[in-house]
Amino acid sequence: MSEVRLQVKNLCKSFGITKAVQNVSFNVNKGEVHALIGENGSGKSTLTNMLTGIYSIGSGTFILDGKEIHPKNQVEANNEGVSIIVQELGTLSGLTVAENIFLGHEDQFVHMGIKNTNAMNKKATELLKQYGFDRIKAADIIDNYNFEDRKLVEIVKATYFNPKIVVIDETTTALSQEGREELYKHMNRIRESGNTVIFISHDLPEILDKSDTITILRDGVYIDTVKSKDVTEDDLKRLMVGREVTGDYYRADYGEKVSDEVVLSVKDVTVPGLIEDVSFDLHKGEILGFGGLSESGMHEIGKAIFGASYDRTGTVQLADGTQINDIPSAIKHSIAYTSKDRDNESVVLNQSIGDNICLPSLDSLANKLHLLSDKKLREFSNQFAKQMSVKMVNVNQFVSELSGGNKQKVVLARWIGKDSDIVVLDSPTRGIDIKVKQDIYQLMNQMRKNGKSIIMISEELMELIGMCDRIIIMKDGKISGELERDEAMDENSLITMMVYGGRNGESS
Amino acid sequence: MENQVKTSTENKEQQLKKLSKMTMIRSLLPIAGLIIIFLMFNALTNFRMMNNLPLVLSQVYVTMISATGVFFIMTMGGLDFSQGSILGIASIVVCMVSKTSIPLAIVAGVAAGAAIGAINGYFYVYRKIKSFIVTICTMFLFRGFIKYLTTNAPVAGSAMLINFDSTELKLACTLVVLIVGFILFRFTKFGTYLKAVGAGEKAAMFSGIRTDRMKFLIYTLAGAITGFAAFINVIKVGSVTSSGGNQLETQILIALVLGGMPISGGAKVRFENIIVGSLLYIVLNSGLTMMGFTTQMMQLIQGVVFLIFVAVFADRQSLQVIK
Repeated sequence: MSEVRLQVKNLCKSFGITKAVQNVSFNVNKGEVHALIGENGSGKSTLTNMLTGIYSIGSGTFILDGKEIHPKNQVEANNEGVSIIVQELGTLSGLTVAENIFLGHEDQFVHMGIKNTNAMNKKATELLKQYGFDRIKAADIIDNYNFEDRKLVEIVKATYFNPKIVVIDETTTALSQEGREELYKHMNRIRESGNTVIFISHDLPEILDKSDTITILRDGVYIDTVKSKDVTEDDLKRLMVGREVTGDYYRADYGEKVSDEVVLSVKDVTVPGLIEDVSFDLHKGEILGFGGLSESGMHEIGKAIFGASYDRTGTVQLADGTQINDIPSAIKHSIAYTSKDRDNESVVLNQSIGDNICLPSLDSLANKLHLLSDKKLREFSNQFAKQMSVKMVNVNQFVSELSGGNKQKVVLARWIGKDSDIVVLDSPTRGIDIKVKQDIYQLMNQMRKNGKSIIMISEELMELIGMCDRIIIMKDGKISGELERDEAMDENSLITMMVYGGRNGESS
Repeated sequence: MENQVKTSTENKEQQLKKLSKMTMIRSLLPIAGLIIIFLMFNALTNFRMMNNLPLVLSQVYVTMISATGVFFIMTMGGLDFSQGSILGIASIVVCMVSKTSIPLAIVAGVAAGAAIGAINGYFYVYRKIKSFIVTICTMFLFRGFIKYLTTNAPVAGSAMLINFDSTELKLACTLVVLIVGFILFRFTKFGTYLKAVGAGEKAAMFSGIRTDRMKFLIYTLAGAITGFAAFINVIKVGSVTSSGGNQLETQILIALVLGGMPISGGAKVRFENIIVGSLLYIVLNSGLTMMGFTTQMMQLIQGVVFLIFVAVFADRQSLQVIK
């Protein structure tokens, strides 16, 4: 029996009314890769963020090698022997590679108040060499390197001091196959040295292949800890979701023909520094997906269509020839948009649910004298909030008090109330629990059947594959490939296209 | 598990109850304060205040009218410190033009106010400078103009102006501004849009509101409203000295905050804030005068009261959105 490295005891954490982690307890052993899985919003990242000092601990304890730890920030966590490679970009722009690696630990190079940059660069160069990343130069500004290389720098940053526990939070989806192999190699090295990796990923085959032990969380609650060799992928899915996963989670239909009627055509759209020469058509009743890495420019496409891009060139044109160049005209012509940045761009946080739902529809709700009646507004917002089953006390409640999923429902209620024909959804299920997710998928399917056209921009490949009639893959601001809806499609073909580009992925 | 769910909903209800109680207290406190302070001063001054009510009220009109425009600005999260200088310049314009024609003088006053408001709006919106910086600059700039124009002698208006100085007219003008403002704010999309900009500008933009144009127009509108108030000011005082309109901006700010307005604007503002706040400010001010406090002492007391109210009403969650 291997020794216990970390005990998680009765851990809880709430954000406002939302309970992100509820009374979670489990053990992590020495010398293992311990995977943490669960749907979005199940509390995996919240848990590891508390362990590594990014969030404060709500209640409960972490006991590392018999000693209780409560790090207040990442540097303290590092000093306790815990480090993390985060999901997003974890390096700081404007600093050199060496400065990034030793961020928060510069003291070792400081003599009499003066930092010895040469010594720091020398040490960083040695480390990079040890890791086999010779092509990365310690004195270079980190911005000179692409996403992938920056992730490699993060690996060095998180592991060079031999921490007892390294958390790897959904890092692999962003890496190419080579980058992944590098990462796996270092995970193995850490395991062999008797230290521990806590590994978070959505890729179940990868989890089964690379980890020794798997802990499953669901809606912030601890479900089970299992040995990888004892379970199958289906077992894991069942544990994560809490019931048999049926085909109805995503769309069930295949081979249905999409109408030829074009409702929106985008031609040669360029937004300097973000997207370049993007052209495509959207058809009536179609769900068109956009996939790619976060920096591929795909998020800007939604803004460009909605007239929200700064400095856009090219045309966005409706079937009747109307050109869309700003937000008010987009809304007027029945285009809706939900942003990835939900709290800043989709909902007005410090305003009531009712006002949020009515906001774009006020013109049509006003009477001939342009006057609005409270009763009418309340009925309108109630109707659509109920239709979307927003969990709320009443429509006067502020949106800031709602959970992520309910905020998203408010946004969708607003656009359904506006009866928009073209709906652009950027990361619609980001940070949303599985039940609401299913609601959103069903709603999208319903809208499609009603002849509405949907553009779905998403970083979650499974939902693109499950929901879209067509998927356009973006890389470095350009369209790199296009795939038709196909039952046989899997994530790997998309990932290949996302990372390497090329139009060779046309499925046949 | 069942129990956990139950307790969590109970907690939620309790939290919401507490929250709505807080909102109640916040909206009732200014009204209660107004009544208490009014009664207190009456008791302290042997009901002199009650007897001099028209005199006390005569000071409230200008503040209340100008406060309407600033209320709109503050609702969308901005500030305006140039109101005193706007009033001063507009008053000088009214005085000068009144020698030609009085109706024209009213129009000219409104236009002068709107012009300065537009300057504020231009630098705030299109040159992207924080509103309090812009308006502090224009405050000094136009105060300089006022001092220059009144170097030799105060600018006097037409002698005809004095004929208009009646409580009825001033009250009627004030009511018209308040009623129009109230309808616009409460029963048209204008009010909802303003609150949305104050509560989250970016999201408001993504909901189809032309936020830049809106902000520019509101600053212009606030200037125009104060330009109108200049007419009321001139018929009361007859001529404008170098200190004409001095400190109006502070009076308005104090009045709105006393009325319960959150200084960061947003969805929690209420139109009543203008009325209750202006009255509270004037009662406090006249009360202290009647009790025989010196000007210095009054400023000190006002400062303390202002600080207490800001501390009570500041909406700390949205304070960072002051623009």
